[in-house]
Amino acid sequence: MKLKINRRDFLKSTAITSLYFAGFGLPSFANSGPKKNLVIIMLEGGMDGLCAIPIKGDKKFKKLRSKINLDKTFSLTSDFDLHPALQTFKSLWDNNLASAVHATSIPYTGRSHFDGQNLMQSGGKIPYSVKTGWLGRGMKLAGLTGNGLALSLPMPLLIRGVPMNDNYFPVGKAIPANDILEMIHNEFDNYSEKDLSETLKVIRKRKDGGHGYTENSALSLQAGKQLAKIDGPRVAVFEVGGFDTHAAQGSTDGAHADCLKEYDRILKGLQASMGDEFKNTLVLTLTEFGRTIKQNSSNGTEHGYGTAVLMSGGLVKKAQIHSDWPGLKKKELFEGRDLNSTIDARSIYASAMSTVFDLDFKRIQKDVFWGEDLQNLSDKLFKTV
Amino acid sequence: MKSFFRKVAFGIGLNEEVPSDPLSWALNQVSDVPKLSWTGRLNSEKELRLLYREWVYNDRKVIRKKYKDNKTLYKTHRDLLRHKTGQKFWESLEITVRHNEAINSQSPVLAKLWMFWGNFFTISDKDFLPQYSTGPYQREIIRPNLNQTFEKMVYEVTTSWAMIHHLDNSESAGPKSVTAFQDWIKKKKEPATINENHARELLELHTVSPEAGYTQEDIIQLAYIMTGWQRRWSKKHLETGDIWFNSEYHQPGKKKVLGKEYKKGKKALAAVIKDLVNHPNCRDFVAERLCRYLITDEPTKEMKQPIIDAFKKSDGHLTEIHKAAIKVAFDNNDKYKKFQNPENWFVQVAKISDLQWPPSPTLMDLYELGNKPTRSQRYPEWLLKRIGHHPYKAKQPNGWSDISNDWLSPELLIRRLVYAKESYLFNKPENNNNDFYNKIVQKNFDNPEKIMKYLNKKNNPSDKQVLLFNHPEFLKA
Repeated sequence: MKLKINRRDFLKSTAITSLYFAGFGLPSFANSGPKKNLVIIMLEGGMDGLCAIPIKGDKKFKKLRSKINLDKTFSLTSDFDLHPALQTFKSLWDNNLASAVHATSIPYTGRSHFDGQNLMQSGGKIPYSVKTGWLGRGMKLAGLTGNGLALSLPMPLLIRGVPMNDNYFPVGKAIPANDILEMIHNEFDNYSEKDLSETLKVIRKRKDGGHGYTENSALSLQAGKQLAKIDGPRVAVFEVGGFDTHAAQGSTDGAHADCLKEYDRILKGLQASMGDEFKNTLVLTLTEFGRTIKQNSSNGTEHGYGTAVLMSGGLVKKAQIHSDWPGLKKKELFEGRDLNSTIDARSIYASAMSTVFDLDFKRIQKDVFWGEDLQNLSDKLFKTV
Repeated sequence: MKSFFRKVAFGIGLNEEVPSDPLSWALNQVSDVPKLSWTGRLNSEKELRLLYREWVYNDRKVIRKKYKDNKTLYKTHRDLLRHKTGQKFWESLEITVRHNEAINSQSPVLAKLWMFWGNFFTISDKDFLPQYSTGPYQREIIRPNLNQTFEKMVYEVTTSWAMIHHLDNSESAGPKSVTAFQDWIKKKKEPATINENHARELLELHTVSPEAGYTQEDIIQLAYIMTGWQRRWSKKHLETGDIWFNSEYHQPGKKKVLGKEYKKGKKALAAVIKDLVNHPNCRDFVAERLCRYLITDEPTKEMKQPIIDAFKKSDGHLTEIHKAAIKVAFDNNDKYKKFQNPENWFVQVAKISDLQWPPSPTLMDLYELGNKPTRSQRYPEWLLKRIGHHPYKAKQPNGWSDISNDWLSPELLIRRLVYAKESYLFNKPENNNNDFYNKIVQKNFDNPEKIMKYLNKKNNPSDKQVLLFNHPEFLKA
């Protein structure tokens, strides 16, 4: 399927919004309410929604996963359980601070990590055709220049599209003195190296070269502190890898469990370091696809389609599993093998940006997602503050 | 013009003459694959795989059981086992060999292309591949094929232990294979089935790319052809056994990939690879990737065409493909400057400023199996991780990006600032004189006066390192 906007139109809109950077931007806050934050945790490799949030009492499901069924779970609703590794998520759920959308996916069925990870970040339908991320474009629309923070070393595609993003992944050494940086900065400008110049500008705002640890749990504490500041970033992006469990996926303590635990620790770190500001925050997961219902012969699962989006933070409406459940009978599965997706995951992300950035859903739909057919789920999933 | 020496290689060293005919200089380096210039210790892929075996076997089968009730003892013995098998040493040694080829050999252009193909056929960070196998895979599979055909390269990569382990082909069994049938007789609940991973990457990353428009069915059919290519499993060797074709796992019957039929059996893999490498999209993809690596993020049709033509005319002979790419890079040298990735950048820093880099054979030969490597022996691996570009630790099988923006972020630029400064620690004492920067700038820049004027604003050599190697003219080539 073709994107409904061509590249030239896209560049046109980029040129207009980049005026924000030139100093003609509108203030970041469209209303006078509190500073609201959006955190995206990318779960790379294909997160198994049915491992994180398994369905209750489906005999066929149990049979198809005889080697990797969970031997203990938390109970969420009359229909769904929760993986026991997700302890923080469960405690947030118990306080109406966590929820999930199930049987959802980005509209991509190709089962390739690379295409899928590209599309989950670009928000498009043709791999590599869009060079910015949906979150970057959303931030640009909201005038959030210099408000993004990636907790990883290379800048993820997801927040590209708006200038002056920062990334934090401390090197543990002092950066050169300011007069040296000044000379380099001037030289970047003399050579019209705009990207390098903008990047150095972000660096020079930092107080140190960055001493600290680089595990996700440690990064979440730093990110939380920054997000809690009134003049801090409003968007943060984490990466958790390793979900591609073709072998030894395991049940309660397996390889998928370790990845879910890492996600859960980020939640714990954010909650602890953000304090009161956690209530003005939304933390969503993003993955390229779910995994096959059926285990393979290496006690793992293959690349699939439908999965779950885990949501937490004070801007979550209530503890709920929002789903239009497609069923797990063979004819109900996507291509007879995968959980189907009945909700375009981009509807969730567009609604989240609408809520957090105080933008009209239709504008996001039009300017970030090329006017594609998305549902406004803001009222169903999120709180308005 | 002098940036060409960095565009296709790593610049001109302090004691090297500036070649008078840059194009011939570059073209002359890609016909032969000479012996590695490294004179220190080196182990074969197979020897290192035996150490990999020793590690996994003893960890999984011995110490896990032996110390199952004592976490601390388990950890201690696991560390001892790491050192017994050299787990913390080999990758640094391999990076040393790689950098030595770039800095001290007579064919730095070939070394830069070696890095390109190692990344094209990426073994990403999975299990303990970076620690034991990715370096020797790049030495023994990628490098000797740099003057062979692309077809031979793809076949040898596809049937290599490292790639098969990396992309799970050993776990792939035809649903109608003998193995699956036996599972069915035994009334196993889950008869063996295919794992599509390797087949998908063979199409997407190693040959025709998604531009070829293959379908999910093509991937499944190619996976059927590939069933049976696996590690020889044994209780002793676990997953480290040699690659063989196990006909019991092979899916019987004909298969059809991109409209063409293939018979069952071992030979079908070579047949399908032959067709894939001769697909027009494969030529285009290889040309696109080479141009992206050497010249620009957005190669034009005009850039790619001579490479595509050379591919076609030579039946995919890599020497001819490389020569065509070098010529295109030469012709476009003044118009296009490519932002250098962090590893290329650091190797250029080391070569141009005559650093004591990489570590010497003497230092690396001092390492004894069973001991913890010293900090200086581990520095190569540590450094590349810090600059954000460890060549054996790409996160995904599509390898490290060759798009400039992927290398431009505050944290990545911080690392160039920090490690340009840090590089001063490797300066040779004899280079501590006024003429040093003058000489290296003369050799590597077209406008030495301008650059020297800029450098002379600071007296401290460590400041000069930071200024020179973060200069916009140096960051790009």
